[in-house]
Amino acid sequence: MFPFAVQNVTQSFRLISSCPRRKIHHHHGASGPRLVAAAAALSNASSLRPIGRGYGSPGANGRRWAHQTAKWRPVQVLDEWVAKEARPISLRQLMVFGRSLTESRLISSANYVRTELPTRIAHRIRDMQRLPYVVVTNPHISDVYELYYTAFDTFRRVKEIRTLDDNERFCQEIEKMLRAHLCVIPKLAMGILECSGLMPSDELDRFMNTILRSRISRRVIAEQHLALTETFHSDWFSPGAKLSESDFIGEVFLKCVARDVVERCGDAVRDLARSAYGPDVQVPEIRISGHLEATFPYILSHLEYIIGELLRNSVQAVIEHHHRCRGTTGDAPPPPPIEVTLCEAPRHVIIRISDQGGGVPRDMLPYLWSFGKGPLKSERLENLVQVPLMAATLQELRVDGNSQRHSHQDGSLTSLSTRPPNLRLGMGLPLSRVYAEYWAGSLELHSLEGYGVDAFLQISKLGNKNEQLTTRAAMDAV
Amino acid sequence: MKSSYRPLRCLYTPNASSVFSIQRITYPTFIRRFSSNRSTISSYTTEHSSPKGHHGHHGHDAHKPHSHSHPARTATVTDEEIADLAHKHQHSLSLADLVKHGRPPLSAEALFSSANFTLSLLPIRLAHRIQALRNLPFIVVSNPNISKIYNNYIHSLSTLLPWKHRTISDLDTEIRFTSVLAELVATHQDTIPILAKGFLECRRYISPVEVTRFLDTHLRTRIGTRLIAEQHIALHYSSLPHFDPSASPTPCPEHPSYIGVIDTALSPSAVVDSCAGFVADICELKYGIRPQWVIDGEPSTTFAFVPMHLEYIATELLKNAFRATVENTHNQGKREPVVITIAPEPPDAGPPRVTLEPPAVDKGAFKSDAIKPLDDNAPGVTIRIRDRGGGIAPEILPNIWSYSFTTFVEDEEDLMMPGGLNAISTGGSSIAGLGYGLPLSRAYAEYFGGGIAVQSLYGWGTDVYLRLKGVGKIK
Repeated sequence: MFPFAVQNVTQSFRLISSCPRRKIHHHHGASGPRLVAAAAALSNASSLRPIGRGYGSPGANGRRWAHQTAKWRPVQVLDEWVAKEARPISLRQLMVFGRSLTESRLISSANYVRTELPTRIAHRIRDMQRLPYVVVTNPHISDVYELYYTAFDTFRRVKEIRTLDDNERFCQEIEKMLRAHLCVIPKLAMGILECSGLMPSDELDRFMNTILRSRISRRVIAEQHLALTETFHSDWFSPGAKLSESDFIGEVFLKCVARDVVERCGDAVRDLARSAYGPDVQVPEIRISGHLEATFPYILSHLEYIIGELLRNSVQAVIEHHHRCRGTTGDAPPPPPIEVTLCEAPRHVIIRISDQGGGVPRDMLPYLWSFGKGPLKSERLENLVQVPLMAATLQELRVDGNSQRHSHQDGSLTSLSTRPPNLRLGMGLPLSRVYAEYWAGSLELHSLEGYGVDAFLQISKLGNKNEQLTTRAAMDAV
Repeated sequence: MKSSYRPLRCLYTPNASSVFSIQRITYPTFIRRFSSNRSTISSYTTEHSSPKGHHGHHGHDAHKPHSHSHPARTATVTDEEIADLAHKHQHSLSLADLVKHGRPPLSAEALFSSANFTLSLLPIRLAHRIQALRNLPFIVVSNPNISKIYNNYIHSLSTLLPWKHRTISDLDTEIRFTSVLAELVATHQDTIPILAKGFLECRRYISPVEVTRFLDTHLRTRIGTRLIAEQHIALHYSSLPHFDPSASPTPCPEHPSYIGVIDTALSPSAVVDSCAGFVADICELKYGIRPQWVIDGEPSTTFAFVPMHLEYIATELLKNAFRATVENTHNQGKREPVVITIAPEPPDAGPPRVTLEPPAVDKGAFKSDAIKPLDDNAPGVTIRIRDRGGGIAPEILPNIWSYSFTTFVEDEEDLMMPGGLNAISTGGSSIAGLGYGLPLSRAYAEYFGGGIAVQSLYGWGTDVYLRLKGVGKIK
């Protein structure tokens, strides 16, 4: 039986790999990421595997032990859950749901999350089971598989939520899981890069897109429920009260003011640039024009991530291009500004970011949206080793001594993960596109080689579009 | 010579028997293939394309006098010959192919090598087109307009076939070959509007998807075929033995940076600026408003490209940008200028792609010391045309690349009677107003590996990205 085979494979691989892993874990187990990163940087790609693996799974010993003694997982259980369809939600549903919050609504939200999480995870586990054997035996992918299976097994066993106490325990379980899964993005990214020769790269990208989109969807509904619960228990909340439009209701920020978001992200990115390139660097100005009043409902952390990544690319490109062209003389003219244009139409908002950072070199263009291929693969892998945890938020981009927070709310467990801001992981664009498309938007890029780049982020404005989950047909095709 | 080749205006030559011989060869294939539709076909054909009844009755251009005709005896083309040629690989043309014979004035030997290269390409390309036309539904090719184009292709192939096994190696033969090419270029002058009219009349019998697929390939191949022929004609008239650029029936610019119809130091900003001036003149005439434009980026960029192609594309794109700017009333009368940004691709690393012999002798404007060094030529350019004309409505966006008559339902007359800015067209051909602007511009841009992308900010403006690949590094 297929799943049975997969189980055995994972186990036998673990046995084989356990020796070097344990040794390394023993030596470096308690040391920080820097040491490991240094070790990784010195070693070649093949020896990255046990290191990455050893470091990337805190508390791995217990889990692995449990796994090895675990009973064979009956395939029927997964089949049952895979047979269920995910039930998509829209931003509007999320908003309306939270707007008049009562105990029974909170409980029904809990039960939606309780059945929805294992359903969605089950589909992703099945996706992974259909990947080639050689891909799933990659240590990073196999770690993710294990995390997913544990999460699936945990959530499918949760009994119906009837009381606020049940909900409290459930929420603790969710938080634990969200934290444990922070290592999923870098692990997947490393796995995909390492497996890039083992299956067609467009299929790998499709798999990566599906699994990341699904991950976003699960985190949205999970974090939304956590936030609703928090709101419900807060001092100022009286059940059934109508909240004003400007209040946070769970994860959804009712009104995102495009201009404010761009300004906030722009300031953060310019600060990051100053700390990365030194205080003397001329950081390009960010000019905002167009429909400055444009607003739309959106999940702030998603929007900030996309805008942050786009502005980061632009600022870095302009600084480096300007440096190349004008040299480092003190009286050099200021670098050309980054022009952000906001455009509001009845059904959508488009944010255009135009820079004069020299454009994308033509040999990079085909790989812009790919997770797994491109000429910078090995560099990306080395960089990823330094990022064990990644929530994919703007706030986690941090340099020492620069930990000021911009967000009103910390819904995405961002404080748990940080990553050096000047590390190029090659994930900003593809991951931003996953975020944008997740809420029925789009992200396009046009390069004027030798001059600059225009990025176009289109946001669906009404928020009544469903989250864009993969259809069953697409899932079955993976 | 110039005056003896004019566009072919009539489907049927006075010599009806030669037409019939073509028909006899081709009909059985169609009837076998579409036997189930025979009744429809026969009624359609009697009505529209009975060869004898047709002559002089179908209004669109049959009234034109036959100022010339095909050679009295047109060689017919057999199925086997077409199948044979269509089976051969169609060389995908590069700009380097067209300049490789060296700088004008070409010596007799270089001219022969250009002629033989041209001869090796054209019959195969024509056969491929004939094959594609033959694969269209019978009822479509029976339409007088489409049928006319089909016959033009058969005719052109028949004029080339006698040359098939020959090598051009003396001046007299080369002169005759060039006159065959000149006739070919003239014969196919009006292909696009005739095809458009034909497909419009046939739209009940063929799906827009099929028409678009056919036209996409057809128009692209046509670009290359014409360019190959025009290039040799221009090289002929700027060659040492026949030097007389102004006598050429097709464009033959006398300028040191030109090789035939290709400008090895084309300045995109100059072309765009002159096209903008031209379109602005028309705007002023039609609307009483002259839109402003700004060219920034690297306006001093030069690269090697076909100026007529860039002129066509730039005019089409500027027409759209200027019209949107003039018609957009949301800016309270304040019209922002159209901004055109020229971005040169960084130079290729490595050795030059093409090494060109300098002209052997100075002749006319072609002087060896008049050619500037081309070391800083860009391998390609990106041109961004950014307007504040309000963008493209989302419901229109999916159709901007389709030939508009394919999706066109009513007001047939309007379509055929262009007005306003639609009437602007370079080269004087009558394709304007047929909704060909964007798809044909894209075909031109993609032909040598470039492209066009359109990004609309609905409610604000439109950004159009035109990428063009030049020859690459030239020495």
